Amino acid sequence: MMKKEKNTGRKKRTAVLQRLVLGMTAGLLAGIFSGCTVREGDSSTYQTGEESSTKTFVFGDTTFNAENGEADINPRHDNGGWACIRYGVGETLFRFTDQMEIEPWLARSYENTDELTWKITLRDGITFTSGRNMDGEAVKECLEALVSEHDRAAGDLHIAEITAEGMTLTIRTEIPVPTLINALADPYACICDVRAGVTEDGIVQGTGPYRAVSLTPDTSLELVKNEDYWNGEPKLDEITVRTITDGDTLTMALQSGEIDAAYGIPYLSYPLFENDGYTFTGCATSRVFFGAMNFESGITGDPAVRKAIAMGIDKEGFVEGLLDGNGYAATGVYPDSFAFGGDAVTAEGYDPDGAAQVLEDAGWTDEDGDGLREKDGTPLVLRWLTYPSRQELPLLAEAAQAMLGEIGFRVEIINTADHNRLRSDSSAWDIYVSAMVTAPTGDPEYFFTYHCLDSSDSNDGHYHSDRLEELAEEMARTFDVQRREELAVEMQQTILDDNAYVFCSHLRMSMIAKAGVTGLTAHPCDYYEITVDLDYE
Amino acid sequence: MRKLRRTRKQRRMRMQRLAVFSVLAGLLLLTALFAEQLCPYDPYMQDYGSVLSAPSPAHPFGTDRFGRDMLSRVIAGARTSIFSTLVLVGIISVSGTAAGVLCAYFGKWTDAVVMRIADVCLAFPGLVFALAVSAVLGGGTGTAVIALAAVSWPKYARLARSRTLEIMSSDYLAAARLAGDAPGQMIVRHILPNIAGQILVTAVLDMGTMMMELSALSFLGLGARIPTAEWGSMMSGGRSMLQTYPWVVLAPGSAIFVTVAVFNLFGDALRDCLEP
Repeated sequence: MMKKEKNTGRKKRTAVLQRLVLGMTAGLLAGIFSGCTVREGDSSTYQTGEESSTKTFVFGDTTFNAENGEADINPRHDNGGWACIRYGVGETLFRFTDQMEIEPWLARSYENTDELTWKITLRDGITFTSGRNMDGEAVKECLEALVSEHDRAAGDLHIAEITAEGMTLTIRTEIPVPTLINALADPYACICDVRAGVTEDGIVQGTGPYRAVSLTPDTSLELVKNEDYWNGEPKLDEITVRTITDGDTLTMALQSGEIDAAYGIPYLSYPLFENDGYTFTGCATSRVFFGAMNFESGITGDPAVRKAIAMGIDKEGFVEGLLDGNGYAATGVYPDSFAFGGDAVTAEGYDPDGAAQVLEDAGWTDEDGDGLREKDGTPLVLRWLTYPSRQELPLLAEAAQAMLGEIGFRVEIINTADHNRLRSDSSAWDIYVSAMVTAPTGDPEYFFTYHCLDSSDSNDGHYHSDRLEELAEEMARTFDVQRREELAVEMQQTILDDNAYVFCSHLRMSMIAKAGVTGLTAHPCDYYEITVDLDYE
Repeated sequence: MRKLRRTRKQRRMRMQRLAVFSVLAGLLLLTALFAEQLCPYDPYMQDYGSVLSAPSPAHPFGTDRFGRDMLSRVIAGARTSIFSTLVLVGIISVSGTAAGVLCAYFGKWTDAVVMRIADVCLAFPGLVFALAVSAVLGGGTGTAVIALAAVSWPKYARLARSRTLEIMSSDYLAAARLAGDAPGQMIVRHILPNIAGQILVTAVLDMGTMMMELSALSFLGLGARIPTAEWGSMMSGGRSMLQTYPWVVLAPGSAIFVTVAVFNLFGDALRDCLEP
């Protein structure tokens, strides 16, 4: 009897417990589902409400960030012009064709009346997104603001005076500037309404197919359709450009459908998208991965060491093995697509034994047999400064570490986002390896002006060549295109003969989009991404 | 009688477990010691002809993006990872214990100063503090060890201090003091032998945690330097390949998992035997 009561008691307790557990589970599930329903309901209302009227698109990019000088889309601020032109906010007076030839864009035509005077006729019927009409006066104001605020532009354009008359603009330069029209196609020369000003976020009013409405640096940029666009009707209503600096995060965002297209997906993730769900667009660009030698250093100051480095790097192996064919081995500054690029010049070929011999002959020997060469007690340690935001650079560093290690170097890699500060201290590095667009204006002069001359901003390794200075001077006053090309070849050969720079590979730029995205096409100058043609079915 | 038999049986089982795990831990240490001899290929040799090849008889763990053999790199990584963990645990257990015993024995201002320093170290989340220390000192396995040692010693100091205080109030220590033992003798003869077991168990159990933290620092780029084979940095280098070439991450990941599990189980078994 007692036992039975005990059993009944236990059963009751179990039953209560069971009910409690069941009840709690049911409550929990109900809560979860009601949450879901609410959310689903919300989003469906949102979608049905929006679907009929709003067409949205999300673009992910690894390079739209302050580290790259793209904190905002103000073309007069650092590299902001790149973001301004890439995301369809701004346009330039002239643009590049797929063959990198110059053609009018916001301008209708130009005339070079004498060495110092350029007459540009503007296209009619274009308005800024601020509502103002784009006329000679507006362009004049924009260019004047540009040269007063942007050092590089001022150095390229050498503008003495601009006069505006209706739709005609006359630019007079201080010195002959053969590349003026090319420079006006550089992203910094995006034409914006200066009177409308720049917002606190760095938003400007351009003439492009989309108008920027909000911007959070290193996070996102919101764009809306420019209803009054002059060159066709933009097909999307809203675009979000999201900064996703980490390539793996970008990959997952595209996989999950969070973004519709991406720039900067790591090569190793390409197999994930090589199927019907996605489309690729890619082309060769003039972006080169190259190392600049430090002439102040006891290591790379030695011509034999520089020669050995140039001979010791297997460029083909790097491109085929590590970039999986997503690049082209480089000889000189410019890729094959330029008349003055590719094989127009010669550089040291890959020859590890030859490199070892060069070092041996110069007195860099391995006395103690530890694999590291020394000369007068100085070990052959090469400090390789590079940065991580371009995925190829750390790979190149690690590959070169092994390649040069075999011929007796010890390569110490300094891979840091802080490279811009470090490179100005010439005691901190021996070779600075970076990625640069070498012909942003389709013309060869830019690379030398910015990297190799005594007056160059980026000549951090303090390279100097009398011959190069002479040739650069001649190029600066040469209008004849063919002569400029000859000079470009001769100048490249000069720096290659000095082994002042070693050019490893050119970039193949690719964008990946969901199937159904149309009008997204990679361009060799890497400027035009979001255009009036972009659409998503 | 039955109870006695059961206790004996339990003890035998404990001893067996201890034997099994000490053999496994021993094997791992031997692998680390003879890494150079065991590697089938040079772990640093790049071969662009066989980049990212899948596991095969020639490369049982596959190859990485530089064409380096993963098996060789995992074995070479054992040396870096296990030895640096041993050094780290050695440093923190010895220095922590010394600090704790001295604090308890001498008390007064020694105790106050050392324990307040320990409190400061414990006031920060471990890994975050280690990140800061190793960011200041610069990368490298050595600095990662120093960084983690700086945040991990207080645990041993506190343990050793409380155990010493307990022993200090015991009769046998009072007897030793009456017999005229010098402080050094008392510490070495009476205190240390009594706390050694507990410190040893804690140290062995800490192997796993410390290995994970060292790997975490390397994963974040503050530990081992490129191209040193180290499990954490190997995983970091391969994380973009998780979906496409998983073996590049799985090989070092499994190595960390197995090693940490073995040391933890070994520590458990050791505790069961020493403190039944």
